[in-house]
Amino acid sequence: MVASDRLSVIPLGVGVAGCALMALALVSRWRSVFPVGIIGVGASYAVYLGVQNGAVDGAAPAVAAALFAASELGFWSLERSPSRSEATVLLRRVGALAGGALVTALVGSLVLVLTTGASGGVGLEAAGVAAAVLAIAAIARLASRPSV
Amino acid sequence: MTPKLPAYAGLAALALLAALATRRPELVVVAAPFALAAALGLLLARTPSVDAEIELGAERTLEGDELDLRVTLVADAGAERVEVLLELPRELLVVDGENPVQLRLADGESRELAFRVRCTRWGGYRIGRIYLRTHDWFGLFRHEAVLDRRLPLKVYPSEENVRDLLQPLETQVFSGNHVARQKGEGIEFADLRPFVPGDRIRHVNWRASARRGELWINEHHAERNADVVILLDSFAEARRGDRSTLDPALRAAGTLAARYLRQKDRVGFVTFGGILNWLLPSTGAVQLYRIVDAMLDTAIILSFAWRDIRTVPRRTLPPQALVLALTPLLDDRSEAALLDLRGRGFDLVVIEISPLSLLPAPRGEAGVLADRLWRLRREAMRGRFERAGIPVAIWGDETSLAVALEEVSTYRRRARAVSV
Repeated sequence: MVASDRLSVIPLGVGVAGCALMALALVSRWRSVFPVGIIGVGASYAVYLGVQNGAVDGAAPAVAAALFAASELGFWSLERSPSRSEATVLLRRVGALAGGALVTALVGSLVLVLTTGASGGVGLEAAGVAAAVLAIAAIARLASRPSV
Repeated sequence: MTPKLPAYAGLAALALLAALATRRPELVVVAAPFALAAALGLLLARTPSVDAEIELGAERTLEGDELDLRVTLVADAGAERVEVLLELPRELLVVDGENPVQLRLADGESRELAFRVRCTRWGGYRIGRIYLRTHDWFGLFRHEAVLDRRLPLKVYPSEENVRDLLQPLETQVFSGNHVARQKGEGIEFADLRPFVPGDRIRHVNWRASARRGELWINEHHAERNADVVILLDSFAEARRGDRSTLDPALRAAGTLAARYLRQKDRVGFVTFGGILNWLLPSTGAVQLYRIVDAMLDTAIILSFAWRDIRTVPRRTLPPQALVLALTPLLDDRSEAALLDLRGRGFDLVVIEISPLSLLPAPRGEAGVLADRLWRLRREAMRGRFERAGIPVAIWGDETSLAVALEEVSTYRRRARAVSV
């Protein structure tokens, strides 16, 4: 019981560190630190899942939506644009953010249903590896593009 | 590309790798929105094409007036968010309209942005550099462009209220509005003289002729124009924030030039300072525009080179011209040049643009002493001018130009009475 309590402190610590980094990035307008903060918060969730080591977490879609919305809002506030948005632009942006969070929750739920329904196997493993490889390739491709 | 794209791709990749390592599908769910946003952003990425035009409400305006500006944006390939910044000089303040502004432009859409600006200071400006920054739907790509659509705008100094102008001591040969000393055709009565053959009957003074038993003729003063040269001292200025002695000097120069030209005088303009500019005396509305345009180019250029009145072309200063010098009396070279002008017999009037209100309060004993010495030095300079017969009128914040000109007129009337 005591060991379990100690373990539960780890994700909390990682999450607090992530949130602190995000706050620091927002306050000091240090753009490159903000994604690290999001990674910290995401990592805390991963650690939490590892510590729990139980059934599939049903709150994962909500966590994903919240993390996505937080990162969108954070990047928005880091834009540092002095221009005033027209009402239409503002409404569309807020709508897109809310829609994005909603879609995240829905797609997440779908993914959870699919993965918990599937019995696993080589095919699913291969799909996972391919997705990870594709993501890394995308990063490498992006890194080679000149930034504006 | 904005930092958001690699951040999202990185986040997605890390979450997917973690999902593989820990065999937890929840992490795939966490990775999904970031991966989707990055993938969709990459798929939909394109370069927007937005053009802009600017239209000014007027090419010329007066200091303090408001002006309408219109920016038309045309998007061949639009963008979800377009930030538009119209670069404006500090002297033009936006009183209506948002600048910068963020808007949406669909493909083929055209938008018009209206601004109203107040021209707070005279000058020649070029307006129309437009900065555009477009963002895609996900904020992953950003394109920036600068469109140079500049158009000239001339903001002329506002006019001062002047009721009576200074009358030149000497007039020229062309007809005008000044009563000349010479006798000739005119309205102002000058004298009576006996009739001589050739005199016109309408000039006979019948009352005097009846009293004396012979014909007497009314003589009149001719009405002539005059040459007026406005000499602007641009050696030095006193400046505090946006206020400077050059601004009232230019307002006075513009006002005086307009008023003298309106009464058919020939007006010339000389900027005497680090850079010498001059306009030969001439008449008419065209000359007024020439003078005002020359005024817009006036700037205080620091120079240590000695410059005296001999550097001014002779034709710029015609004999018997009334020279109105507008000076803050901050440079010895202008003092020497003015005394030299008077020595050459010009009808010279000095309007001192007082720099006192622009000076900071002296601090400390040494500061107070230096301030007193400086003021005494200025007094001594004015004394030298008066001894040379040059009237000096001080135009500061407390007085108007009309009052300063009236002081000069009074001085000249008294000086004439004393000399008579």
